[in-house]
Amino acid sequence: MGGEAHHGKRRGNFIQRTIDALAETLERSLYAEQLAEGGGLLQRLDPRVKLVAMLGFIICAAASRNLPVVVAIAVVALGLALVSRIPFRSLMPVWIGMFIFSGLIAGPAIFLTPGPSLATVPWLGWQVSSYGVRSATLLILRSEVSITFSVILVMTTPWIQVMKAMRVVGVPTTVVVILGMTYRYIFLMLQSASDMFEARQSRVIGKLSNADARRLASATVGVLLSKSFQLSNDVYLAMQSRGFRGEVYTLDEFRLGRNDYIAIPIALVIIVSGIWFGYV
Amino acid sequence: MDAIFTLDNIRYDYANTAQPALRDVSMSILRGQRVAIMGANGSGKSTLLRILDGLYFPKSGTVTAFGEPLDEHHLMEDAYAHAFRRRVAFVFQNPDVQLFNPTVYDEVAFGPLQMRWDKQKIARAVADTLDMLEITHLRDRAPHRLSGGEKKRVAIASVLILDPEVILLDEPTAALDPKSQSMVVDFLVGWANSGKTIVTATHDLDTVPDIADDAYIFQHGAIVAHDTPANLLRNHELLLAANLVHAHHHHHDGVPHSHPHFHLGHAHEHSSGI
Amino acid sequence: MHIPDGYLSPSTCAAMFAASTPFWYVASARIKKTLSMRMVPLLSVFAAFSFIIMMFNLPLPGGTTGHATGAALAAIVLGPWAAVISVSIALIIQAVFFGDGGILAIGANCFTIAIVGVFVAHYTNRIVAGNSAVDSSRRVIAAGIAGYLSINAAAFATAVLFGIQPMYFTDSNGAPLYAPYPLDIAIPAMMIGHIGIAGFAELIVTAGVIGYLQKNDISLLSIAQTGVPAAANAAVASGWQGARRMWLVIATLLVLTPLGLIAAGTAWGEWGAEELVALDGGQTITAAPTGLLQYAAIWEAPVPDYAVSFLSSEQLGYILSGVMGVGLIIFTMLVSTYIAARFTRRNEHSNP
Repeated sequence: MGGEAHHGKRRGNFIQRTIDALAETLERSLYAEQLAEGGGLLQRLDPRVKLVAMLGFIICAAASRNLPVVVAIAVVALGLALVSRIPFRSLMPVWIGMFIFSGLIAGPAIFLTPGPSLATVPWLGWQVSSYGVRSATLLILRSEVSITFSVILVMTTPWIQVMKAMRVVGVPTTVVVILGMTYRYIFLMLQSASDMFEARQSRVIGKLSNADARRLASATVGVLLSKSFQLSNDVYLAMQSRGFRGEVYTLDEFRLGRNDYIAIPIALVIIVSGIWFGYV
Repeated sequence: MDAIFTLDNIRYDYANTAQPALRDVSMSILRGQRVAIMGANGSGKSTLLRILDGLYFPKSGTVTAFGEPLDEHHLMEDAYAHAFRRRVAFVFQNPDVQLFNPTVYDEVAFGPLQMRWDKQKIARAVADTLDMLEITHLRDRAPHRLSGGEKKRVAIASVLILDPEVILLDEPTAALDPKSQSMVVDFLVGWANSGKTIVTATHDLDTVPDIADDAYIFQHGAIVAHDTPANLLRNHELLLAANLVHAHHHHHDGVPHSHPHFHLGHAHEHSSGI
Repeated sequence: MHIPDGYLSPSTCAAMFAASTPFWYVASARIKKTLSMRMVPLLSVFAAFSFIIMMFNLPLPGGTTGHATGAALAAIVLGPWAAVISVSIALIIQAVFFGDGGILAIGANCFTIAIVGVFVAHYTNRIVAGNSAVDSSRRVIAAGIAGYLSINAAAFATAVLFGIQPMYFTDSNGAPLYAPYPLDIAIPAMMIGHIGIAGFAELIVTAGVIGYLQKNDISLLSIAQTGVPAAANAAVASGWQGARRMWLVIATLLVLTPLGLIAAGTAWGEWGAEELVALDGGQTITAAPTGLLQYAAIWEAPVPDYAVSFLSSEQLGYILSGVMGVGLIIFTMLVSTYIAARFTRRNEHSNP
């Protein structure tokens, strides 16, 4: 009875789902890298400027106490996505996913929050509270706007540049280096986990029982852990061999260009006025 | 010619096995020499290279490098460690171990950064090295988006940028497609008159005459033969005993006989690849 | 769950960064001392590993699926300090590149999962496993319990963060600006899913992997002790002195937090689910769905309604309850460290 069609896209057994998830992660980073090379507006800006600006916009959305300002910031987000040529179809799933998640959480607040009643649900007799509606809207909108900015950042900037840019917001150099190495080895492990599952998949006939699936997952994680330890030892030797003595050094390759000098004041004005108007 | 490395009665043990990884190893490697270390998996080739690179330290015996003792204590000194790491390079068998940086550019710049070169010098050296190995187009690529051959090129670039005097290579042609294998062999051949000292651990016997002037055969952690590559490769019984070739038993016209069969390198030793 | 942006006020986010920073600082200082040059490659590879296990969706008994945070596994295998850093790094990558958890909420997510989750797992495992052999089945059970409690503690901390939002962050009318539910709704709603489902995912992965390693690569189970020898021995010996400075920082934060909260002032007041149905004359308060009422009923806090009865101000009551809760956690940790230290010492004496 395994693999019924009505389970939709996520059908199939546990192995297949995990392989799909691993493959999707790989694809997403590749896709982001391709977009990052595209010639949109944000792609031409210094990663540090983008990182700080996106952070500023997200803070703006979070700090705003009034709905019109959050809506205005949402418009900024859409505008940036547009001029950066981020395809609508790649943002849509993000929005829908966040809407479902936040909607489920915020939904009951419409009835639960004390406040003036707007309407009554027929039969059930629940009161729709105007404060509840406001709260739910704010919550959903804020979470959508915030995630949009972070998606815009990682889709217009090669991921490793985002990590290197984190130094401007006070992330220590060692952490930036560890992030870079983590990123590098995530893909090696994704590949390896996916190979292990595929090898297993080719030997599975019929449906894997839940207990077997759990055993398989534990064994895969165990193998990955063993390999990780071996890998970290060998990488340590390779680093030492090229002169690593415990201190990390990195190149600062970023340079502000003409576009950045135009972008910085514009972003600054939007962020400051957003926070200003959001507070009153 | 002066000796770059002198090993005297080296013994090395792994923590959890009874058999020593290396025993009674004495050898000297001369400046400009190209040496092949041949042996089957587990014969101690990789361990030997790691000792030469100052990554492992023998349990007994002494290692002398560039006329000075090479030991853990000496490598703790910054000045000595920097000088030694710059002069001796190691190309690991598994490129996923060697390439630990997120991009090709960072990878090639890693060595010079540790040596505290100034930024302009690093930028120039990286550009030149990428150009020399014809991988400039891969500059911003992440390692997981490189083919096996490309990874090997980047690995070689990442050590060549320091212009080392000694290059240690662990199974450089293993797990590569034929085209990439010949690329690596071309490099090794090209270094013949460069004055660089090249030590290659391999069980790819076909390439040995091209890449080495001197060769050792290792078995169970000990040297069993030391001669020119040509002489060693002629000695089939020796190669058979060291598991570098295996006999094929045939029947020709009802007459059984056996002859040695050369194995092209595709086995993995010390591979921790994930 | 990973908190997205928009659910917590910016000041809560900033406070959570501030609360996480001393842990990150102590963790990196300790790791640097014990791992020295190995730190960078080891943490990187294990952060990558933590990231990968967060992706495994496990089929659970009862037909649902869940995924593990890996915090407990990391705590047991790597020791708590290395786990704090590698799980935090994995969470940062998830937030920034995969939109799983908010950017401003990174501090909060790291605090709940990589700090609360990791330390609860570490101490639970240490207490339950005791001095049993590395390959004993007691270790597997300890790992499972540690995993289960770890994710539930993280969920509880998250629920508390959600629950305090409507108390302090409302607009001029009193409508909540961030997560809208108070503690008595947020906590049960959050805990039901974790006690019932997600806890088992963590239990299965943690116990399963420890069991697997016992059979196949037992040397890994002593990394936390042998790979980092100074840390393990020092942790027991200097459990009091070493950690004292940090507890001092936390205690200071605890003292300052209520002051800050009171200063923030104008909470709309208390409104539990019961109060919502108790319609007052003006008919301005809406009815609560009965489902949520049931949820609320399941959760019986040791201090009713989070308010200490003899206090007239309910707001102050909340604050005191919170402080008491955190104090209780710290007290439990200290007592368990003390007991663990005594156990170890006694055993060392009895087995010379």
